[in-house]
Amino acid sequence: MPRLLSLLSGPEDVGRSRWFWAAFVAVCIVLFVSPLWQSEFEATNNAYYLLNVPTALGLALLWGYCGILSFGQVAYFGIAGYVYGIVAGNMVGDSAGPIVGSLCGLAVCAIVSAIFGYFVFYGRVQNWIVPILTLVLSLLLETFLGQTAGYQWRVGTVQLGGYNGMTGIPAFQIGSYVITGYSFFYFVLIIVLVIYLALRLLVNSRHGKVMLAIREDAIRTELLGYDIRARQLVVFVIAAILAGVSGLLYVQWGNYITPSQVGLLQASLPVIWVAVGGRESLLAVLLSTCALNWLNYTLSSEGYQYALIIIGALLVVVMLFFPSGIVVTLAREVPKHGWRALLGWGDGAGK
Amino acid sequence: MDSFATVISVLYQFATNGAFLLLSALGLIVILGMMNIINLAHGELMMMGAYTASIAWHRGVPFWLCAILAFVVVGLFGALLERTIIRRFYGRELGALVVTWGISLILSQGALAVFGPFLPAIPIPGGSVAVGQYSFSVYWLTNIGLACLLIIGLWALYNHTTFGLQARAAMQNAAMARALGVDTGRIYTLTFSLGAGLAGFSGALFAPTVSIAPFMGQQFVAPAFITVVVGGATNVITGAVGSSLLLSLVKTPVGFLLGAFVGTVALLLAALVIIRLMPDGVSAVIQRRIDRRNRFA
Repeated sequence: MPRLLSLLSGPEDVGRSRWFWAAFVAVCIVLFVSPLWQSEFEATNNAYYLLNVPTALGLALLWGYCGILSFGQVAYFGIAGYVYGIVAGNMVGDSAGPIVGSLCGLAVCAIVSAIFGYFVFYGRVQNWIVPILTLVLSLLLETFLGQTAGYQWRVGTVQLGGYNGMTGIPAFQIGSYVITGYSFFYFVLIIVLVIYLALRLLVNSRHGKVMLAIREDAIRTELLGYDIRARQLVVFVIAAILAGVSGLLYVQWGNYITPSQVGLLQASLPVIWVAVGGRESLLAVLLSTCALNWLNYTLSSEGYQYALIIIGALLVVVMLFFPSGIVVTLAREVPKHGWRALLGWGDGAGK
Repeated sequence: MDSFATVISVLYQFATNGAFLLLSALGLIVILGMMNIINLAHGELMMMGAYTASIAWHRGVPFWLCAILAFVVVGLFGALLERTIIRRFYGRELGALVVTWGISLILSQGALAVFGPFLPAIPIPGGSVAVGQYSFSVYWLTNIGLACLLIIGLWALYNHTTFGLQARAAMQNAAMARALGVDTGRIYTLTFSLGAGLAGFSGALFAPTVSIAPFMGQQFVAPAFITVVVGGATNVITGAVGSSLLLSLVKTPVGFLLGAFVGTVALLLAALVIIRLMPDGVSAVIQRRIDRRNRFA
């Protein structure tokens, strides 16, 4: 157990001090009791901000820790969502339906990403090809799903629905207990926390060190005797499964999914969350994903048509001035110089 | 006569698909090959070209002038983009990918906010010619010719001008080129501007065949990127030509038998198989063959 704790607090994420963990536990407690003063509507919204976190963490693992950028995480999000909708929708009335549907969704994600990853990583393509091909994959998926309107496009009793989307997707249930409202918030919160802590263990483990070594210098790592192709493939599949988890939570949250969920706009969002927070820190990505989802939701729910322009501009500004992300830059610079120096109020001690 | 017409028709389909892929990807390939930067705003630059063409055409400008105007406008915009943003990302491939994506988001959403959901269409210029029972669009025949001319023009630009010489020097070894007095910054600005201009030009050429809308760039993104991935970055011109012909060879029969969408899916599958066999693309394979021949000659 102490070994596990020290591994958890290893060097590969920001936030390792005793104070950090105290704050972390405090925030968790606040989140767990927050439904006391929040309406069911607010709790459901909070669940929405959280449910995108697994996709973002998977991309952070892939891009920030392993050096492989993917623009197609939404493809796996969509695959899991649609497969869940088809399987669970055909098993309505059977209380095992949602569980079987979830497992099928994740399995299909794993299979598709493994096949795709095999061609890409075992072909040893150059760095820039992976993001391009993953993007093409999700664009084609959107085109395919978009033309599935009409009665002939159905699987069992479930219609794919073209651009109208797939509706009436069942919520998650364990036994006869259906998870909605407050309990869905807890469900998402627990999944997100487990995934975050598990990934922290992973990046600080031996496997994580090899991953980082591949990011720093792939050829050197290979010469040290590691099969980098297999390692990259494994990380790629993990990231795809995490995106699939988000997709499952999304359809269980909203009970519908449309092809635009795997379109170009949606595809850009995970990259933005990860880049803005700081791809080399899981914690930063966790925070920025929640914050940006809240921002996007708030801006667009007030009918503000410039929401995506603002988010795009934010991405460009961050890439220009905070290449390692806002949260990571703060986490690195603040302890060194203090707040005052960072904001330019100090006596120039930062120089 | 009938079989002759069928042969012509198949060749026409093949050349049309090849020209479409080549025109979609040319601007992207120029920028990637010379600067090692993937421009994810490529689709949006094509959209800008189509917008320029549509606005100009509806003010009475003849279509060929609209296309040239699109080249100039988008080219200038590309130069501006390179000066302000892109130049900070040399040597950071993935950073450049992400920042150009941010730019594409701003451009498409900006176009939506400024011009609304669509612009008036442009009718397809030119009529059609008939051979046997088949008829062929003069417009696409012109596009096929233009694609050939552009390739010849690029080849001449890179092989027979001072700019081309300096650009190839900057591509092979930027530090050495700078030491010999080549202004590599200027070369990069011009190259990016040329790539953007070509994207705008293609966007204007495709404008009559599609609906002109803020997100129209998306439909060219998949074919353009597949062409670039298959072509590789070793040699711009052989990559572009080899890859679009190879992919047209896949797309034409599949698209003809199973429809346009399956044709595009076949492109992705073909790309996966091709990069498994030749990871650096068609251009690297051709380049190796040329090098080997030169060595033994």
